[in-house]
Amino acid sequence: MEFLVCVKQVPDDSVEIHLNPETSTPDLSQADPEAGAFDTYAEELAVRFIEENEGSVTVVSVGTEDNKTCIKNSIAVGASSGYVVADEGTDCLDSAQVADLLAAAAAKIEEQEGKKFDIILCGKESTDAIGGQVGPLLAEKLNLPLVENAVEITSVDGGISVKQETDTGFMMYEIATPAVVTISKPDYDPRYPTIRSKMAARKAKIPTLSLSDLGITDLASEAKISSLGFEEPKKRQAGIKINETEAEEAVKKAMDQMIADKAL
Amino acid sequence: MKYLVYVELKNGKPSGAALELLSAAKKAGADAAAVLAESGCEDAAAETAKFASEVIILDDVITDPNGRPTEDFLTAALAKLAADEGADGVLLSAAPFNRNIAPRIASRMGVGCVTDVIGLTVEGGTVVFTRPSYGGTVLEKQSAADNKVVATIRSGSFDAPEEGAACEPVHKSVAVDDADLKAKITEFIAEAGEVVNLEDADVIVAGGRGMGSEEGFKLVEDLANELGAVVGASRPAIESGWVGRTHQVGQSGKIVAPKLYIACGISGAMQHVSGMMDSGYIVAINKDEDAPIFQIADVGIVGDVHKILPLMIDAVKAHKAQ
Amino acid sequence: MAYLISDEGKDLLKDVREFCNNEVKEQSKEFDLSGEWPQAIYDMAAEMQLGTLDVPEEFGGPGLSRIDHAAILEEMAKADAGFATSFMTNGLSLHPIEFGGTKEQLKSVYDVILKGGFGAFCLTEPNAGCDVSNGSTTAVKDGDDYIINGTKCFITNGPVADFFTVFAKTDKSAGAKGMSAFLIFKGTPGLSIGSHENKMGIRLSQTSDVILEDVRVPASAMLGKEGDGFKIAMKTLDIARTWCGIVAVGLAQRAIDEAAAYARTRVQFGKPLGRNEVIQFKLADMQMATEAARQLCAYSLTLMDRGEDYTTASATAKCKAGDAAMYCTTEAVQILGGYGFSRDYPVEKLMRDAKIFQLFEGTNEIQRLVVGRSVIGKC
Repeated sequence: MEFLVCVKQVPDDSVEIHLNPETSTPDLSQADPEAGAFDTYAEELAVRFIEENEGSVTVVSVGTEDNKTCIKNSIAVGASSGYVVADEGTDCLDSAQVADLLAAAAAKIEEQEGKKFDIILCGKESTDAIGGQVGPLLAEKLNLPLVENAVEITSVDGGISVKQETDTGFMMYEIATPAVVTISKPDYDPRYPTIRSKMAARKAKIPTLSLSDLGITDLASEAKISSLGFEEPKKRQAGIKINETEAEEAVKKAMDQMIADKAL
Repeated sequence: MKYLVYVELKNGKPSGAALELLSAAKKAGADAAAVLAESGCEDAAAETAKFASEVIILDDVITDPNGRPTEDFLTAALAKLAADEGADGVLLSAAPFNRNIAPRIASRMGVGCVTDVIGLTVEGGTVVFTRPSYGGTVLEKQSAADNKVVATIRSGSFDAPEEGAACEPVHKSVAVDDADLKAKITEFIAEAGEVVNLEDADVIVAGGRGMGSEEGFKLVEDLANELGAVVGASRPAIESGWVGRTHQVGQSGKIVAPKLYIACGISGAMQHVSGMMDSGYIVAINKDEDAPIFQIADVGIVGDVHKILPLMIDAVKAHKAQ
Repeated sequence: MAYLISDEGKDLLKDVREFCNNEVKEQSKEFDLSGEWPQAIYDMAAEMQLGTLDVPEEFGGPGLSRIDHAAILEEMAKADAGFATSFMTNGLSLHPIEFGGTKEQLKSVYDVILKGGFGAFCLTEPNAGCDVSNGSTTAVKDGDDYIINGTKCFITNGPVADFFTVFAKTDKSAGAKGMSAFLIFKGTPGLSIGSHENKMGIRLSQTSDVILEDVRVPASAMLGKEGDGFKIAMKTLDIARTWCGIVAVGLAQRAIDEAAAYARTRVQFGKPLGRNEVIQFKLADMQMATEAARQLCAYSLTLMDRGEDYTTASATAKCKAGDAAMYCTTEAVQILGGYGFSRDYPVEKLMRDAKIFQLFEGTNEIQRLVVGRSVIGKC
């Protein structure tokens, strides 16, 4: 199977993001850019699949030249090639525009590498905007079968079997390829790059695809969703903190407070 | 302006989160037509009709093994119904199933999509949606061109709608092409364990890494039993296998807002806090007195959960006996 | 401040940091308590090729510069000093072969290391600690073979090593000049692991006696010639001391990080601890001691890169780094107060981990002897 994994570069999600009071925009200065968590799960799932079966994994990211860092990380953990879509304005797009560019990039990469992608994977959502839209929009754009929130893909006659995580269990699907699948958290973690794979990946050539490479003269479809600004959520006030050496005393104080506040 | 409001069922009734969408539509200044599409939804439709001026029951639904519409079917059906009804948008609750289909419906309608909405205002004729990003520490305001939109809205973000004169549900059918049904469902594998209804719980007792072990986590379950509460958990407790993933509260689990939330051995990482911040009253027990959970707790107890919880269970018993 | 490393090193460092934070830092607490060897952690580290940094490029290693390697080893030590010590000891056990071994011998041990194996450096004996040449282990020529007998103690990696560099007397009457070095592989009849040390710190590394009972090895197992042993041992320690210092610097840095994090969030008398000058001064002194030690290590590595003499620089670096680790971890306990003394907080472990860095690979008194003699010269 030939995989295309779409990766979004996001700020490190272990760093708490707040607004810069001067600009009222999210202050990302303390958070190093990295690949979105669910995108790395998608990469790992694809790499495990080709290790057990056959095929290759290509990664693509829409954004700026800077995204090459996270593409190189993808190559260090098993992708064989990677591309970034970067041009004027490609760093601030709505989900539908990103999906459109990914669709065009998929076609361009297929042409350049002389192959057809069987499975296009996206993380189920990014960890910054948490929109969860690009995968399904890409499937719509390409008019391909789609399964979302998947944790497992296996090969079957004429296509793939996909295990979707739901609220109450797992829905099993069979779909023809080519297809789009979005990935949730499987019960394993992505591998770490090895010292040598990382050093090799640093030397990998990551081609940039411009809008004109993709046959797009300008970002024609104007955004359907506009961002009007950011705000911080209302802060919750801390109440009382009980710090007693005796647990009995602490519980008594807490219960008295809860009863007084009619919380019980 | 008119929005379709998709009403899914929960235990045979219209879900609370879905009925709240009627309030959201009203606030946006839109007429709302409620749409139900599950097998045997007549009673739920009649219930919904008490709150809505128009209720549509979709017929000829293609269902999954659980009797619910398939994603492919509902995507196609709602997009077509919106066209038939001249609707400007579709509102859905932010359940995972709905989050899956919302962008696809938007794409077919040629409109934008906003997910996980927690509030809206109308400013100069524009509907402005508020939604969380960056794990909930930042809120973003978004609008859709011409207010044409498919939006998913988190439960608890709007009040329950007021009862009005009941309308008469009407049955409708839309033609869905085979080409729209690309994903074939072969089987549903239910996860062992009880149905966990965190979203509708009045009281949640949740445990985290500090519970230490599967055995330690039992204390959380014991207190929950005593309080008639639903058991929640933070990600470390889930990943350690002490409790099933359906109990997860937080960004990657359920977003909850019970009247009372008791956090046991949970440090208060933002992934967790963003899922329970809107609880009415928060009690936190943690041995680390600098744990961030104390910054949002109404009552914080600094201490060892393994000592505090058994005493609290006794205290709750005594309180109930009074 | 830190080592001035390449962009490549920075990239690798980020991966190693993530690995150590996710897989080593918290997990080490359990193994510190039990003293067990965390096989799963070392397996993951092997998969990531963390041990391969000691192998030169021509033998299949990654070919990183010494300074990049140092930054990575420091990162490992920040997560757990015992974890880093196991790898540092690989370097220690490889150097005798690098100084005295043949290309074939080198290839055989590098292959072990590339596969994630470990080596042990067997010099110390119950009656030969600092007084290295007083060892009683003997290697007696028997035809084309040597027969080795003796007991080595405090051998880091002893229980997990795949190869051992063993020092033994081939001529008991010749003192230091009567010592020779041998490369012996695990499984050689007569070589066994004695009692394990129940250590105060660095408990993620394993330390034991190594017992040699009529261990028969061919003459080709010898490193260099008969009588080269002492020279090889001293050259090995010269180089290894810098790497020992690098691990100690990582430990000192961890103590600073923990103490600073605590001082930022702990509120007493209505303000964070860190707003008190007394705490700021403590942290400043810790930082200065650690950074000075780090740059001494870097200087020693630079001398190695340039092929210049580094004996004194290496002893200086190891001594200052070991002292910095002990000083910073003790101060970190002081800053955390009662919590610093509690096993529920991370710093008491750091303090226990630190002491060994003033002891092994030459006590800090020995380092001072080396440095003192270099200052005085002949008199």
